[in-house]
This record gives sequence, C-alpha cells and structure tokens, in this order.
Amino acid sequence: MNNTDNILIMENIHKSFGDLEVLKGIDLTVKRGEVVAVIGPSGGGKSTLLRCATTLENIDSGKIVIAGDTLCDMQGGKIKYATKDQLRHIRSRFGLVFQNFNLFPHFSVRRNITESLIHVLGKSKDEADQICDDLLAKMDIKDKADSYPCNLSGGQQQRVSIARALAADPDIIFFDEPTSALDPELTKGVLEVIKSIAAEHMTMVIVTHEMMFARDVADRIVFMDGGVIVEEGPAFELVSNPKQQRTKEFLAGY
Amino acid sequence: MTKEDLLTSILQILQGLEYTSGIFFFTLILSLPLGLAVARGKMSKNKIVSAIFGVYISILRGTPLMLQLLIVYYGPYYLFGISTGGIKIGPFNFRFIAAIIGFTLNYAAYFAEIFRGGIQSMPKGQYEAAQVLGFSKSQTYFKIILPQVIKRVLPSVGNEVITLVKDTSLAQVLSVSEMFFMASSLASKQVSIVPFLVVGVFYYFMNAVIALLMSKIENSMAYYS
Repeated sequence: MNNTDNILIMENIHKSFGDLEVLKGIDLTVKRGEVVAVIGPSGGGKSTLLRCATTLENIDSGKIVIAGDTLCDMQGGKIKYATKDQLRHIRSRFGLVFQNFNLFPHFSVRRNITESLIHVLGKSKDEADQICDDLLAKMDIKDKADSYPCNLSGGQQQRVSIARALAADPDIIFFDEPTSALDPELTKGVLEVIKSIAAEHMTMVIVTHEMMFARDVADRIVFMDGGVIVEEGPAFELVSNPKQQRTKEFLAGY
Repeated sequence: MTKEDLLTSILQILQGLEYTSGIFFFTLILSLPLGLAVARGKMSKNKIVSAIFGVYISILRGTPLMLQLLIVYYGPYYLFGISTGGIKIGPFNFRFIAAIIGFTLNYAAYFAEIFRGGIQSMPKGQYEAAQVLGFSKSQTYFKIILPQVIKRVLPSVGNEVITLVKDTSLAQVLSVSEMFFMASSLASKQVSIVPFLVVGVFYYFMNAVIALLMSKIENSMAYYS
C-alpha cells in the first residue's frame, strides 16, 4: 500500500454516454477522514461521478485509485481496468449507499448485512452476526435484525443499507443522494446517522441536495455543473460565500 | 351403462395414470431448467446466439404441440433413416421417450419466455448492490436474482403446469397408453361416454391438487414483497 493518505484519487475523468459527455475531465482527491459533499443541479454529473468511482460505470479516460489500489489507469492511450480479482478486493474497500436503498427484499435485515461478509469476505457466521448486531445498535434499529425490508420504514431501510455499506469496514463510503427518497421527517434521522459516522472520521463522499446538511457535515464541498467542477472549497465558506456566478445562482435557490 | 362399465373405466384409466404422470413429471423436471437455459440464451448479448434461441422459441410456440410430437417420433426414421423401434431406456420405449422429448422442448420454450420476463423485471439496483458488495456473477444470479425471479414467475409457471396436465393427453397420437388413450379406446369398445367423463374427473382432480400445491408454494414466499 502506498499513498494511503489519499483514500480516493480521481484524475482527469472523462465519461460519455453516446454523444453526450457527462464528465469533462474531473479531478477529485479525498484524504483519509475527510468528508466531501458533492452538490449541483440534476444532470450536472454528480451521480455519474459517484457511479464511476464505485465501478458501476466504466470511465472513458482518466485514473482512479481507491485506498492505494488502482481501479483504472491509462495505458498506451487507452483505459485499462483492474483484473477481476483486484476488482473484488477494491470493492471490499468502499461502501455505497444508494438513493433507493437497493436492499435485497428476500433477505432479512441480518442477511442483508451478513451475506457478503460470509460469502465474499469469508468471515465466520458468528463474526458476521456480531458485526451486524453492533451496526444495528449504532443505527438504532437493534430490534429489526429479523425483519424483512418490506416491513421497515424508508428511514429504517436506509439505515440498514448504511449498515450494510459499513459492514466490511471500508476505507471510504459513498452516498448517492441518501435522503432523496425519504420524507423530511425520516430524512432527519438518516442525516443524524450519517453525521454520527462522520464524527468517527469515516472518509465519505456524499452526493446530496441537502445544502444545510452538506454545510454542517462536510469538510469540503464540491459544486458540479455541466460535467465539470465549477467550484470547491471549505464547506462553510462555499455555502456562505461562493465565488463563481454559477454557484451563487445555484445556492440562491436554497 | 352398467356399474361394471364404470368400474372397468376407472380401473383401465387408472392404468393410464402411470404414463400420464410419467410424462408430466419428466417434462416438468427437464423443461424447467431447459427453459431457464433457453431464457439466458435469448437474453445473450451475442446477437447470433440470441437470434438462434429466438427462432427456437418462435417455432416451438408457433406450431402445434401435436405436430411437434409427431415430428420427434417419426422424424428420425423419415428424415435420417434411423430405425427407432428397438430404442429403449430402462422400461421406456421410444414412443414414451419421443413424447417426453417433444413435451420438454415445447414447454421449455414457454417457460423460457416466462423466465425472461421475470429476469428482465428485476430492478437494475439489485445487480448494482450485489456488485458493489463484491458478489461474483454466479453468486449474484443464484443468491440474489433467481430466488426473486422464482417468486415473480410462480403464478405464470403454475398456469403452464396446469396446462401441461391436460396436454399430456396429446401423447395419444404416439399411442402412448396414457389416460386419454385408454379412455378413447374404452369409449369405442363400450360405446359409451362414461370413460370420457371418468377421465375428465381424473384430470380435474390432478389439477385441483396442483392448484392447491401452487398456492401453498406462493404463500410460503409471501413473507416479503
């Protein structure tokens, strides 16, 4: 392992869907323990950036390094991705929380959390259960281990999915608009949970529309629009005193 | 009609039950996995593979099952000059084997379309969640996708299973001594409609049991939605 102070390195990321260039040369580095919020209008490329970082989309060119392991890099002018085995390892180093949870409906809450621990990471059932119980207690849903996702509220489901993302003890967690599918009341509880994780110095990248939350929880905010990073800076400063005209216009809507 | 006629009908048709249930169970056991394989072939990213399976499904669903049975049975001899009279697998002669092959190929085509619908109705997020958690392709398929697909396709599969019970009667064209074959020959021997009524009752009860079983299985999967 080298350079593990930077948990996420994205360099000159380009990504197109057909003729539409969605990411036009993005550079983003996240240090260990840092919380970065990515804000910006819909269609600005935030979610695509997150999907590229989490192997759900392949980039066209650029370089991505996660926790010291190269996910992809340019080789002879072409993008080259890590091998299957390397990918498996890299995927165990990060967690992803989806907007619409994507829990496995046919698994109990416990199995949602422990299944990959046991069958991907090779942990024993006892160890996995212990991790699960600890996380559920932390998420304040200790009594829901044997419930099925369909019997939980949206807020509880999102907490389960956060627990699932934390279970493998990753180096970094990505959140893709974690509260967009929730009503304001449930949103509050989930944001509290994310705050408590941030307080434990988990490295996080959060795509969000919750501006006040971004300001309070993030160390740094990145404002994206039109496939580029328009402006970035310390969270409080960017929200209270944006420099770019486009950022000002966007924030004026909040 | 006499009481004896009725009794003979029941006893004779009961003898056919063995073949009927034989066709039914063998077809089910073979066509379900084959259907799954055909569904995967149809969904293949390779356009040629997908087209081949598409043609298979189209022909098997687009022509009469009775015709398919006849082709499986007579085809080897008329097309390739292969004598099939001596072919035997265990206690089963070629008539029975041909029936199983014909039924299996036909039902696999129907099951394939049902499975394809089920698999394609799965939200992309299930695959994505499995991928970022590090599950391999086969783990994702067998642990995450397939169990949910089974729940989704169960009602449609149940429909086909019930149809299969009734379709077994088509094996009479190959002179397989299943229930319907027995009933037909009895009816002409006795000059009576009784054997037909009796065989109708048999089919109905088989399907009543199957409908009950299917709803039991559906209920056992109702713990999530």
